[in-house]
Amino acid sequence: MPAEIERLYDAHAQSLYAFLLNFTRDEFDTRDLLQEIFVKLAREPKLLSGIRDERAFLIRLAHNAAIDLIRRRGTRERTKENFAENISPFAPAQNPDDEIFRNELSAALGELPEDQRAVVHLKLWGELTFEQIAAALNLSPNTAASRYRYGLDKLRERLRPLYEEMKKAE
Amino acid sequence: MMNEELEQFENRLRRQSLRPIPAEWRAKIIAGAMSRVSKVESRGQKDFRLSTLVSRLSTVFWPHPKAWAGLAAIWIFIFILNFSMRDKTSVIAEKVSPPSPDVMVQLKLQQRMLAELIGANDLIDAERQKIFLPRPRSERVEILAA
Repeated sequence: MPAEIERLYDAHAQSLYAFLLNFTRDEFDTRDLLQEIFVKLAREPKLLSGIRDERAFLIRLAHNAAIDLIRRRGTRERTKENFAENISPFAPAQNPDDEIFRNELSAALGELPEDQRAVVHLKLWGELTFEQIAAALNLSPNTAASRYRYGLDKLRERLRPLYEEMKKAE
Repeated sequence: MMNEELEQFENRLRRQSLRPIPAEWRAKIIAGAMSRVSKVESRGQKDFRLSTLVSRLSTVFWPHPKAWAGLAAIWIFIFILNFSMRDKTSVIAEKVSPPSPDVMVQLKLQQRMLAELIGANDLIDAERQKIFLPRPRSERVEILAA
């Protein structure tokens, strides 16, 4: 049993962490949610039996847990929505220009509605297909695709000046 | 042209590496998950023990439920009877006010008469001295003078 939990952790914890961090922007909350997911997996070993796509299933668990957390937070911590001040889901960059871009991207992602942010994250950094995203977030693939398109347009609009500047510099 | 631009933008976003999960979390999260499971299992064992006890008791009581119910009813009847027959004299004594001096005098006189009848004179003399008869002050003075 511990071996199975270790395997699941090694295979999926990094992507779950990134997904959850993009949602919560708080390391403590992310860790709590990750712990909650692995407790659930340890308690119910049969949870994954018959599941074809482990990653999509675990993302679904993570998404539900994150939504619950955000509801629990309620108005108490609405201030956390000022994501620019919270932890970024991106690793610090060595190049200062990249660092600026990552910070701006982190803030722009934080401004997206949660449903669009989840799809954009899973498509760009989770490397899931729209079918997988649809399965993970309980959507139709078309809805997932349209949310991605809306989200990406907003990011591009928000980051356009910086992006154009960086392109010129290259 | 537009799609190519969008693709480039997507690729740039994709290249941004994500924050790595802290390495020290692995051991803690796995240990945390396993310890919670063992707690649940121990609780399950307690529930199992309780259910075993219940099943054993039921095997003892089940063959003759009417007999056990009758026995329980008898015990309840005995308990109620015992409760209702409890000695209430102390409660009554607490409630009754102390006898008046007149009643006390009457009792003493009756006692003395009884003693005279059975011939205990010594006792009478001793009792006589103790008897205090409340009288008007004028009579008390006469007694003292005599």
